[in-house]
Amino acid sequence: MAPAESNSGGATKEQPPVKAPAKDLKKKDEKKDEDLSEEDLALKQQLELYVERAQDADPGLQKVALESMREEIRTATSSMTSVPKPLKFLRPHYATLQAHYEKMSDSDLKKLLADILSVLALTMSPEGERESLKYRLLGSDGDIGSWGHEYVRNLAGEISQEYSKRQSEEAPIDDLMDLVVQIVAFHMKHNAEPEAVDLLMEVEDLDLLVEHVDSTNFKRTCLYLTSSAKYLPGPDDMLVLDIAHSIYMKFEEYPRALQIALYLDNFQYVSELFQRCEDPLKRQQFCFILARHGVSFELTESIIADDEEREALQNLINNTKLNEGYLTLARDIEVMEPKSPEDIYKAHLIEGRGSGGGTVDSARQNLAATFVNAFVNAGFGQDKLMTVPAEASSGGSSSSWLFKNKEHGKASAAASLGMIMLWDIDSGLAQLDKYFHASDTHVVSGALLGVGIVNCNVTSDCDPALALLAEYVEKEDASIKIGAIMGLGLAHAGSQNEQVRSILMPLLLDGRSSVDVIAFAAIALGLVYVGSCNEDVAQNIVLALMERSEAELGDPLARFLPLGLGLLFLGKQENVEATAEVSKTFNEKIRKHCDMTLLSCAYAGTGNVLKVQHFLGQCAQHLEKGESYQGPAVLGIAMVAMAEELGLEMAIRSLEHLLQYGEQNIRRAVPLALGLLCISNPKVNVMDTLSRLSHDTDSEVAMSAMISLGLIGAGTNNARIAGMLRNLSSYYYKDASLLFCVRIAQGLVHLGKGLLTLSPYHSERFLMSPTALAGLVVMLHACLDMKALILGKYHYVLYFLVLAMQPRMLLTVDENLKPLSVPVRVGQAVDVVGQAGRPKTITGFQTHSTPVLLAAGDRAELATEKYIPLSPILEGFVILKENPDYKEES
Amino acid sequence: MLKVSVKWQKEVFSNMEIDTTQPPYVFKCQLYDLTGVPPERQKIVVKGGLLKDDADWSKVGIKEGQKLMMMGTADEIVKAPEKGPIFAEDMPEEEQAVAVGHSAGLVNLGNTCYMNSTLQCLHSVPELKSALIQYPPPVRSNTVDQSSHSLTVATRELFNELDKNVRPVAPVRFLTALRSKYPQFAQLHNGVYMQQDAEECWTQLLFTLSSALRSSGSGEDADALKKFFGIDLVSRIHCPESGEESMETESVYSLKCHISQEVNHLHEGLKRGLKSELEKSSPSLGRSAVYTKDSRINDLPRYLTVQFVRFFWKRETNQKAKILRKVDYPLSLDVYDLCSDDLCKRLEVPRRLLRDEEGKKAGLKTNESSSTKDNDVKMTDAEGPSNASGDSSVSAPGEGAPPEKEKHLTGIYDLVAVLTHKGRSADSGHYVAWVKQENGKWIQFDDDNPIPQREEDITRLSGGGDWHMAYICMYKARDISI
Repeated sequence: MAPAESNSGGATKEQPPVKAPAKDLKKKDEKKDEDLSEEDLALKQQLELYVERAQDADPGLQKVALESMREEIRTATSSMTSVPKPLKFLRPHYATLQAHYEKMSDSDLKKLLADILSVLALTMSPEGERESLKYRLLGSDGDIGSWGHEYVRNLAGEISQEYSKRQSEEAPIDDLMDLVVQIVAFHMKHNAEPEAVDLLMEVEDLDLLVEHVDSTNFKRTCLYLTSSAKYLPGPDDMLVLDIAHSIYMKFEEYPRALQIALYLDNFQYVSELFQRCEDPLKRQQFCFILARHGVSFELTESIIADDEEREALQNLINNTKLNEGYLTLARDIEVMEPKSPEDIYKAHLIEGRGSGGGTVDSARQNLAATFVNAFVNAGFGQDKLMTVPAEASSGGSSSSWLFKNKEHGKASAAASLGMIMLWDIDSGLAQLDKYFHASDTHVVSGALLGVGIVNCNVTSDCDPALALLAEYVEKEDASIKIGAIMGLGLAHAGSQNEQVRSILMPLLLDGRSSVDVIAFAAIALGLVYVGSCNEDVAQNIVLALMERSEAELGDPLARFLPLGLGLLFLGKQENVEATAEVSKTFNEKIRKHCDMTLLSCAYAGTGNVLKVQHFLGQCAQHLEKGESYQGPAVLGIAMVAMAEELGLEMAIRSLEHLLQYGEQNIRRAVPLALGLLCISNPKVNVMDTLSRLSHDTDSEVAMSAMISLGLIGAGTNNARIAGMLRNLSSYYYKDASLLFCVRIAQGLVHLGKGLLTLSPYHSERFLMSPTALAGLVVMLHACLDMKALILGKYHYVLYFLVLAMQPRMLLTVDENLKPLSVPVRVGQAVDVVGQAGRPKTITGFQTHSTPVLLAAGDRAELATEKYIPLSPILEGFVILKENPDYKEES
Repeated sequence: MLKVSVKWQKEVFSNMEIDTTQPPYVFKCQLYDLTGVPPERQKIVVKGGLLKDDADWSKVGIKEGQKLMMMGTADEIVKAPEKGPIFAEDMPEEEQAVAVGHSAGLVNLGNTCYMNSTLQCLHSVPELKSALIQYPPPVRSNTVDQSSHSLTVATRELFNELDKNVRPVAPVRFLTALRSKYPQFAQLHNGVYMQQDAEECWTQLLFTLSSALRSSGSGEDADALKKFFGIDLVSRIHCPESGEESMETESVYSLKCHISQEVNHLHEGLKRGLKSELEKSSPSLGRSAVYTKDSRINDLPRYLTVQFVRFFWKRETNQKAKILRKVDYPLSLDVYDLCSDDLCKRLEVPRRLLRDEEGKKAGLKTNESSSTKDNDVKMTDAEGPSNASGDSSVSAPGEGAPPEKEKHLTGIYDLVAVLTHKGRSADSGHYVAWVKQENGKWIQFDDDNPIPQREEDITRLSGGGDWHMAYICMYKARDISI
């Protein structure tokens, strides 16, 4: 939508500056004829003479006159703000020449005159007449560029208008297309790639572009294409990206091509890429990119023939290096020392208030400490509560902390061990093993969940998660069942694993399963088949929804069923429509809720403005009787709008309005939506809003605001948020529920001691990892009913966040994949779309040596010529190759 | 025979041989030898499935050179501790109160912060609580009128409730009793109960309790409240004109700290408060003359109440105006030099003992930190005087002093409660109690809201601005058992 307008907007914009002075000039011309300098006067008289001659009967004379007129116009130079003099002086004669042209018989001369009229029409043609184009088509097909940029630009604008007119009349467009080819060629040669792309988009013939790009301008062209794709309505955006992909492939810019393939979710392209690119190092880099995106992609023999290489590459895709790389980063930054929850609370900094008595264990506060400990020490493999040195295991502190949690709290405590051992399958499973034999069902349940967490985002070829968890799904005890189901969902998120489906699906339709079991089964299936549009799974969830009684649908956990269904269609837009139709037949209690959830998931990460408006419209309605659909609608605004920066800012403002005018159930969801919009990106204005809401009189608004403060600061160690939360902890020290939320937020802010991010976006905010978003959305939906779920006995839904946890690092490795320290410049990324030349891409940079942390909006570039990165985007794992042309400076 | 490699934790056992004719249990026993993990705890993962002990190798589909993963540890199985922790959430409310570390707040029933803060301060005196528990006596005497009786009972009940609850308590019954006993507290202004002077409430309440408890008391603790709060003063009344002199004794419940231009510290104010001038008819002169009254403390209570005379009646505005002057008060107060000679003599021994004991504590610390002989020698030197004092204490009973192991007052007091006022006159503004809990933490009781505070902030309530300033301070005697 935007380029269409921007182009026509551009065309109209170009006219006023030309025409406005024209009006003034007319008046001036009459009065100030005498004011002209002698030189100008001579020129004027000369041109008048030419005009007169051009109407002469003698073709010879005519020809000379026209040619000299053309010469005058072509050689005229002028500044940007004024009309070239010959054009100015010829203006009064435009009508005369036009009249003469009509009278002339067809000849070369007529064409010559048409050319001149076409140029004159640039300033003279009345708006909407497109005379410039008309005479251009009548004229000789001479070199279009010889008349200058402004002329070409004007012509392009007229073409797009003419094109849409002819499209509606179904008139032929061949003559226009010839012109387009000329213009595109001209633009592409003259650093005006955006104009060329705009024109081609207008005339719907982007394929032309591929012929005209060359090695100097393909990068800029593709950058323009990919960034404009965000503003295009479907299916045009896909088309544009497809073109960008083929251009990248043509110029062997494979990492970029891979990114676009991932954006398009097109694994055909990915396989092609592996086949096209023979370089083993580059292939390894592709694997790192695939691993970061969190998709499971199986390399088959047809893609890579060599067994050994295939296995090595598959291991990279399975993310087996993640833990190692993360620990390298941690050691380099020197944060290996485990932290206790007290180190995070920093109670000594709080004015005047010791935190209560503290002699007696509070189950709620211990549970909070369990989560804080898990979040802070995530992935480090050591902590101060759960992991014990082997000698101390007799009555060791591990089990003693475990049993300092009450009932279902023990499940979260056992699972927290999985979080601490995150991504380290071998030692993680060994540590969790002891809990499998416990007599307490909650501990076993937590251990199962822990297995899922350890295996989250990493895959082992033995698939131990499936082997271990499968049998427990059959157990009678609901809590063990849920632990196993959630574990399977986390471990296999995005894998579309058939075996998992055959294990989980029967649960959905088992009439004996309780609501919580089927709710978690639906979520797990949604995660495993995220964004796959799998009909079979969708049908089963729909059936499960239909079979349940109204009372059961009223359960707070019942919201997970439509959400599981929605996850299947995450980001898949129209594909959801059939299912959305079916959902209209549901029980009215859940119908609208389901509809909102489905829509919000299907359009998540698309930036579709119409959908945002739709959700806003839903939020404006008054609720009749305890309906709950507005919560998902508010979250939907954030899910859709988070795609790009502009829409995001607008959504933040719209949410502010909802805060002022919305009803209570909307106000409760707004902080969560803000949290999602700015996840791991603490924008000051949002921070202030949330800080204000954290003192809201409605305790649920306050709770979600505090959780969101944690989300926007997740993994940043942001001192301001940490200070706010400390103050909140002393403000709410008497209210256990609110304090619990503050603690969780404190844990999130120091997630992975500040090395992790929760943002689902990566690769310069271009790609969105579907599993990461799914994890966030599940957790946020659970937060919509904070009291029943997070503060009830389902607090372990907080562990769904693990899906989005990724180190926010740049780790450079050498050709043997060993860490290699090189200097890099890290600074604020600058938007260089549509800029000519090679503009600076970062600003305010500092030079560090890798591995380094990258904050939200940061970009890195190598500060040495000695190596060449194999990926143009310096994020995550990047392989460096030695630069053969590099010469050591003496 | 197949050869496979098995990965266990970070180790890899390559070239493990499988005898496909034997059940997998045999293979697990092989692994037991290598890893020490008993077969029943081994989990061997084969491509997303577990290897069963009695499975058929041919159906498992293991290939030559395949990688297997084994999980399991020989670690001890986690057992729940026999006695799990007790969670605050599970406790009955009275026990939670103990855990929280302070008692409940009191709901403001409409300008009753004067009463709430007074009650919170008095509630911190455990002796008062135990005295109240014995009330009413089995045999009721007739000396107590009905309203005093009900006020005393209401106090007892309220203190009880405060100890049991975490949530704020509404002192409705107490308020009704107080107002029926002292109608001045039920004054209305524009249909609303007026704010009252906390000091008045304090004094009246103590008076009532004292009379009620006195009547109930039997034998030795006949006047319990006097023992806790009463201060015996001996005053010399002297008329400079006639040279007449007389001695008087009286008993008061609080010391007054007079505030004038020169007073910067509590101690100075107290001294000034003990000196006064009065005009009375002199028998020798036959007319009224100015007498000076110079009082000294003759007996000390367990709890010393100090009232800052911050309010004076201002005729023009018809209200009790407030002196905002800053008067510092210490966390521990020594009243030795306000005592009469007689009392000073009695205090001497316990004071010396207390000093020694504290010195010993400090000395012990240095002893622990160093082990050189020199220090040891010094230590014995330092202990010399303490031995001497030990001797004197042995001789003390012979001199008719109270028997051993009895608590003795030392004249040194520690601050335990402060009642503060914020505002410009006694009948307006806001009263708040700051009370030291048994665990040593300070709590600010702002009606129904107890807020933990730091000790150093307590001494900052000394006035000199519009912030809360101390109106009544309660000190607890630091005693020593001999």
